[in-house]
Amino acid sequence: MSNGTKTLLAIIVILILVWIGYAIVKSSPGEAPTTATSTEALKIGVILPLTGDAATYGEPGRNLFALALDEVNAAGGVNGQMLEFIYEDGKCNGPVAASAAQKLVAIDKVQIIIGGFCSSESLASIPVAESAKVAMFSPGSSSPDLTGRSMYFFRNYPSDASQGKILAEAAFNDKKWKTVAMLQEQTDFALGIRKVFETRFVELGGKIITEEFPSTASDFRSQLSKLRAAKPDALFLSLQTFAPTEKILKQLSDQKWAPNLLLSDVATSEELRTSRASQLEGALTAEFNTDPSNPKFSQMTSAYKAKYGVDVPYQGYAQTEYDAVYMVRDGLLAVGNSGEKFAAWGRTIKDWPGASGVITIGPDGDRAAGHVVKVIKAGKLENYSAVSATATSSPVVQ
Amino acid sequence: MEYLIHLAILFSIYAILGVGLNLVVGYTGLLSVTHAAFYGIGAYATAILSTVYDLNFFVTMLVGVVISGVVSLLIGLVLSRFDGDYYALAALGFNIIVYSIFLNWQSVTRGPLGIPGIDRPDFVSANWAFLIMSALFLIAIYYLAQYLGKSSFGRVLKAIREDERAIQVFGYQTHYYKLMIFVIGAMMAAVAGSIFAAYITFIDPSTFTLNESIFLLAIIILGGLANNKGAILGALFLILLPEMLRFVGFPTDIAAQMRQVVYGLLLVFLMLYRPQGLMGEYEL
Amino acid sequence: MSIIPQLIVNSIIAGAIYTLVALGFNLIYSTTKFFNLAHGAMAVVGGYVVFSLTRQLDFSLWLSIPVAILVAGVIGVLSDLLLFRKLRERKASSMILLVASLGLFTAIQAMIAILFTSQFQTLTTGASISTVYDVFGGAITQTQVVILATGLLIMAGIGLMLKYTKLGKAIQAVGDDEEVAKIVGIDTNKVIAIVFFIGSAIAGVAGLLVGFDTGLEPTMGLALLLKGIVAAIVGGVGSLYGGVLGAFLLGFVENFGIWHLSGEWKDAIAFVLLILFLIFRPQGIVKK
Repeated sequence: MSNGTKTLLAIIVILILVWIGYAIVKSSPGEAPTTATSTEALKIGVILPLTGDAATYGEPGRNLFALALDEVNAAGGVNGQMLEFIYEDGKCNGPVAASAAQKLVAIDKVQIIIGGFCSSESLASIPVAESAKVAMFSPGSSSPDLTGRSMYFFRNYPSDASQGKILAEAAFNDKKWKTVAMLQEQTDFALGIRKVFETRFVELGGKIITEEFPSTASDFRSQLSKLRAAKPDALFLSLQTFAPTEKILKQLSDQKWAPNLLLSDVATSEELRTSRASQLEGALTAEFNTDPSNPKFSQMTSAYKAKYGVDVPYQGYAQTEYDAVYMVRDGLLAVGNSGEKFAAWGRTIKDWPGASGVITIGPDGDRAAGHVVKVIKAGKLENYSAVSATATSSPVVQ
Repeated sequence: MEYLIHLAILFSIYAILGVGLNLVVGYTGLLSVTHAAFYGIGAYATAILSTVYDLNFFVTMLVGVVISGVVSLLIGLVLSRFDGDYYALAALGFNIIVYSIFLNWQSVTRGPLGIPGIDRPDFVSANWAFLIMSALFLIAIYYLAQYLGKSSFGRVLKAIREDERAIQVFGYQTHYYKLMIFVIGAMMAAVAGSIFAAYITFIDPSTFTLNESIFLLAIIILGGLANNKGAILGALFLILLPEMLRFVGFPTDIAAQMRQVVYGLLLVFLMLYRPQGLMGEYEL
Repeated sequence: MSIIPQLIVNSIIAGAIYTLVALGFNLIYSTTKFFNLAHGAMAVVGGYVVFSLTRQLDFSLWLSIPVAILVAGVIGVLSDLLLFRKLRERKASSMILLVASLGLFTAIQAMIAILFTSQFQTLTTGASISTVYDVFGGAITQTQVVILATGLLIMAGIGLMLKYTKLGKAIQAVGDDEEVAKIVGIDTNKVIAIVFFIGSAIAGVAGLLVGFDTGLEPTMGLALLLKGIVAAIVGGVGSLYGGVLGAFLLGFVENFGIWHLSGEWKDAIAFVLLILFLIFRPQGIVKK
């Protein structure tokens, strides 16, 4: 290799290192956890999927966080100190989220991270947070794997365990469906729901047939044909990503098959419900209970509409994200900006009134409350009555 | 500082992958677009053996390397019958098949749920200690690759690259050589996989897709084929690029796409103006 | 077994889509002898031009579709003029062309994602139910029939062109041996440019039809392309009719394969088929 090239290479490498070094130096002021008396803004990290397939959840998520942040700061922040969010893209991917957590912890020196949103983001970031003694608080991760995973992690969103269970009970006990066909997307979220549904449904005496597909698939015709040939009483779509959901529904109607439908909470998307209202009429889904009569909830929805001009999508997640910001503020007020203390404080939360209802966090870091079955009527989600309570633990906030 | 260490660890993992792939592509001239599969085998071996059976990290790595070697032997036997574009396509097909297995064989890999809670060996629980370990592996693999390149084995490979027919005339079993280097490259990838699993402590199939293999190919093409230093340089550049972009402040909604545009154009310009890459001695 | 008619219909639908991609791909391959991965991007371009014209600029469908096909063709020609021709002049190996086409594909796909966001879009507005026909117990929609008809028409059209027009003969000559074609006086560069135009235009058609049938995503190009390549190779790469045969074979194997296996193995099945053919009959079904 010629000398010219060598020099060029050396220059490039040096430039890159200098750039990174500069960026690091530029963004690292405070070291140890501060008590909330300085006039500089207090930084909180946020990890969520801003790009990629899950961006449909991440973008409104960021909007909600920004909205709540403004409110909290307008009300005086934390003892007069303003809060500042640093958003990092987790892409709904483990290693990417871990890198994001690493950056927030090492460079921005946050003590608290709101995130991840996807369970894979949380699972991969927890070790990073743990070793830095930073608290992680998720408003959306629902994998049962996260229950009791770390003393530095807790969440105000309930585990999948509740969604699958109540749908199974509604299907078997109320609707008297004996055989359910399932079409499940291969993501951790959809698989988790399916497993819980399957266990409970079979426990009750029902039968399940399943077909799975990777998130990138677009041709579901033969799988649907196969499931149809089994003559099920209902079809359960355990899905996460919007694109396949839309395609499946279309191919379902193309084949002129209109079975009884059960859906994971992907159906809480307003866009889906309005565009496919007639097809989804009467379908059952589960939502982490939203209660429009809750004053904080309605305040959140109207503030979102006022600021962003559209109705807030995915209300089940919106309410927990909104609450998360306020809970962070309350925690900071209670114990100061320390990851360790915040994580411990999180587990003592009892009957905290939020937009998502009354929140209690258990010693395993999980929220003690659950999903509720909803039915889609005329494109809207309505509460489903006649859910036989077989030992559920959900306080149904009507 | 912690952040630099984190980047350095990721870099060393990709450098190992790059050097291993370089051995295959650079010396045989065949576009092996299936490297991520062996990366995954190493990662899953470590993940499963340490979570389910509590085995020591180095033992799991060894198992991963062996499994990767066996699988690559089988795949390589099929691949070595092909040339040029067909080789690339068949390799691509294998990557997709192995990825499907990672995703669908849920009783073993837990499919999309991934495997969390992978053990990190205690003596490297601090990141800087981990960096030293992965750097040591990188150095070992680099020297192994250098040695192979300079040995008579390596010379035969280069000759195959230049003109396979001629070498066959001399009586060399070219299939055997191509197969051997493919297996060696695969075993190196498994090492990288084990290191990756122990570092992030959570893996799922999404890391081992076709896109990852293509990314690895871009690394070594950029760095220069058949040049181990080049592979390392390529890895350095392509790891730093997204991190730099984080600081540039592209509106986050297009940052990821901008990076793809950059990669794509980079490949195009490389092919147009410098097909041997930054430091390569050989063009495709 | 009431499932079989629907499986047959599903296979035909899938085969029709793969046919469209394979046709354009084969045409370009037969003259330039390299695997042009950027071909997949032309399909995406076709789909999104229709989207942008109808949804964003409110043009009529009858205008948007020809424009989209034209744009796809033009971009294809540009890719040749600006990139592939230069590489060809330098006698670059087909691997360099492959990698360059991969780079181009990545860049185009990402630019579309920036312009139109990565969100899923449909070309049909809302959930308008297109007419569904019943074929011996299997359901097929109007759009899908159009796809099938278009594929067969294009195949026939190209077949006729190749056989009976001067251009067609020139294309075949270049495909047989570029050097000899030059000697005989054919302007090979021009012929190749035309081939790129036609091939890319066909890809554009594929993209927009898939957009109507299934929807648009910037990432749809690669999946379509890969299946198209499998179809082309299995059928006999470079052969027009082979590509069509391969496409339908692939469609059938995929859809009947998951009848007894689980649907999640669909992609793996397609590539196992490819590899089996590469091992046992690399020239494909139809020898060229």
